[in-house]
Amino acid sequence: MEKLLEILEEIDDSIDYEAEKALIDDHLFDSFAVINLVSELEDAFDIQIEAREMVPTNFNSAEAMWEMIQRLQEN
Amino acid sequence: MAYHEGFYLFAFLPLALICYQIVAEKHRWKVLLVFSFIYFYLFSGNLVIYLIGSTILTHYAAIWISWIKMKYTQELSEVPKEQKSAIRKAGQKKQRMVLTAAVLTLLGTLAYLKYTNFFLENVNSLLASLNVDHSFAISKILVPIGISFYTLEQIGYIADVYWDKIEPEKNLGKLALFFGFFPLVMEGPISSYETVSKSLFSGQKLRFENLKDGFLRIVWGLMKKMVVADRLYIIVDKIFTNYQDYSGVVIILGAICYTIQLYMEFSGCMDIVIGSGKLFGVELPENFKQPFFSKNAGEFWRRWHISLGTWFRTYIFYPVSVSSLVKKWNKFGNKKVGKNITRIVTSAFTLFPVWLCNGLWHGANWSYIFYGMYYFVILMIEVIVEPLTNKLTKKYNLDTLRIFKTWIIIFTGELFFRAESLPAGIAMFTSIFTDFIPENLGSISLGVGYADVFAIVLGCVIVGIVSTLKEKNVDIQAKVYSLKTPVRWAVYYALIFMIIILGAYGTGYQPVDLIYAGF
Repeated sequence: MEKLLEILEEIDDSIDYEAEKALIDDHLFDSFAVINLVSELEDAFDIQIEAREMVPTNFNSAEAMWEMIQRLQEN
Repeated sequence: MAYHEGFYLFAFLPLALICYQIVAEKHRWKVLLVFSFIYFYLFSGNLVIYLIGSTILTHYAAIWISWIKMKYTQELSEVPKEQKSAIRKAGQKKQRMVLTAAVLTLLGTLAYLKYTNFFLENVNSLLASLNVDHSFAISKILVPIGISFYTLEQIGYIADVYWDKIEPEKNLGKLALFFGFFPLVMEGPISSYETVSKSLFSGQKLRFENLKDGFLRIVWGLMKKMVVADRLYIIVDKIFTNYQDYSGVVIILGAICYTIQLYMEFSGCMDIVIGSGKLFGVELPENFKQPFFSKNAGEFWRRWHISLGTWFRTYIFYPVSVSSLVKKWNKFGNKKVGKNITRIVTSAFTLFPVWLCNGLWHGANWSYIFYGMYYFVILMIEVIVEPLTNKLTKKYNLDTLRIFKTWIIIFTGELFFRAESLPAGIAMFTSIFTDFIPENLGSISLGVGYADVFAIVLGCVIVGIVSTLKEKNVDIQAKVYSLKTPVRWAVYYALIFMIIILGAYGTGYQPVDLIYAGF
């Protein structure tokens, strides 16, 4: 989780990622921030993020991203 | 029998409500299904076969994909770990084949019906310009109503099953109701099965709250359509048909009037659609969110025709964004050319297919393709200047200026969108700079009188106030309901009488078809 927070803070350090639950819904992250994030997450956690994962619920909070990462690592 | 016409509002809809209420709960969805197919048949006659055929195809493609998933999941549980990856890949390949075949068939049908003649006309022009003595015969192709809308829903449904977002619907009738639901079928909103199915199949009895909400929403939509849009139609039609007769200043007026007409018409129709759904307790997604408060074109498209934007983002933008080519470029670019250039190239690569498809989706016409490309260029400019915009907006409050800039972008886009042809659009746009004669405005005839102008202005002011309050998160509906009974009823009657007295119908007015139903 710490590694994930580091990546997120590199994208935008003005957001409180432990509290924020609507990164996508409130447009704190735009589409291109998400695309960038996908590449970073794939490299950092050795996972493959496919189109099916590209839903707001997977990227709305650090917690949701962490759940997705763990799920993809298990597969 | 469009949504704003008397037959729909005073005969079809009440009859559907009565039949829905008198049958048992578990059969109510069947009433909606029957009424939906009657509605479709009344518009498109035998072309209903396209809706039935594509629904059957979608149904079985989704079931097939789901069956492959099940088969391979079972196989995976029975094999050692080292074989799992190969089996998983084989399963995914088969699912992808079914998905691709189904999507290509659906898109192929849409392309054949909508674009064959456009394609042949362009081939004929090309052959003529090359002095080739041959031309392809062009025959009229009848297009079923709403095909552009329900085809996107069908593709979305199969993709959602493929992506494990939803389980496929086992009941063909229920799926047919989702794609053909009469309030949705003509102009959307393009809905996802996940969002709508639960309330659509619930068969809940008619409730006073839903009837009240639905009724108010329908009346509000009728006001926008009949008082404002249909009166503006007269001005817009005159300017765009005879654009050569008008100077640049009138062309600007035409572009502004058309933008307002389109908004009042399309969002008004969505109010009637969402209100119609609400009467039955069916929750449909919103399609507009105060678009004229947008500070840039990107935001505008998140507030205007939201369901189309969402569809393109989900099924084109993101799949392209996470394609191996874009991922590879992102990694390479971030290391070699810097984040900013990488972002610009990635944006170009991912936005281009979205906006090409957006233009094509609206119809077989170079104006629409130009319209799509226009927004592609505008959005690319916004991506390029984003670092500067961020710096400036942190320092200064530029909201009003940015909103005004977005209006100019919107008006210009709609000018080309509405123009009779692309050359006409270019001529109209050019005349703004070459033939701008302000004094012409007072002496021109636009086919409307003071009463029309009064109705348009009054309607715009009311919609403007309501939109401003909504933008400030004021729940207008709750406010109206909280009014004392006489005042509340005065509001209802004021709206109804506004439509009766100021609506553009009857002698002297020709019925105006719903613009988006033509797409």
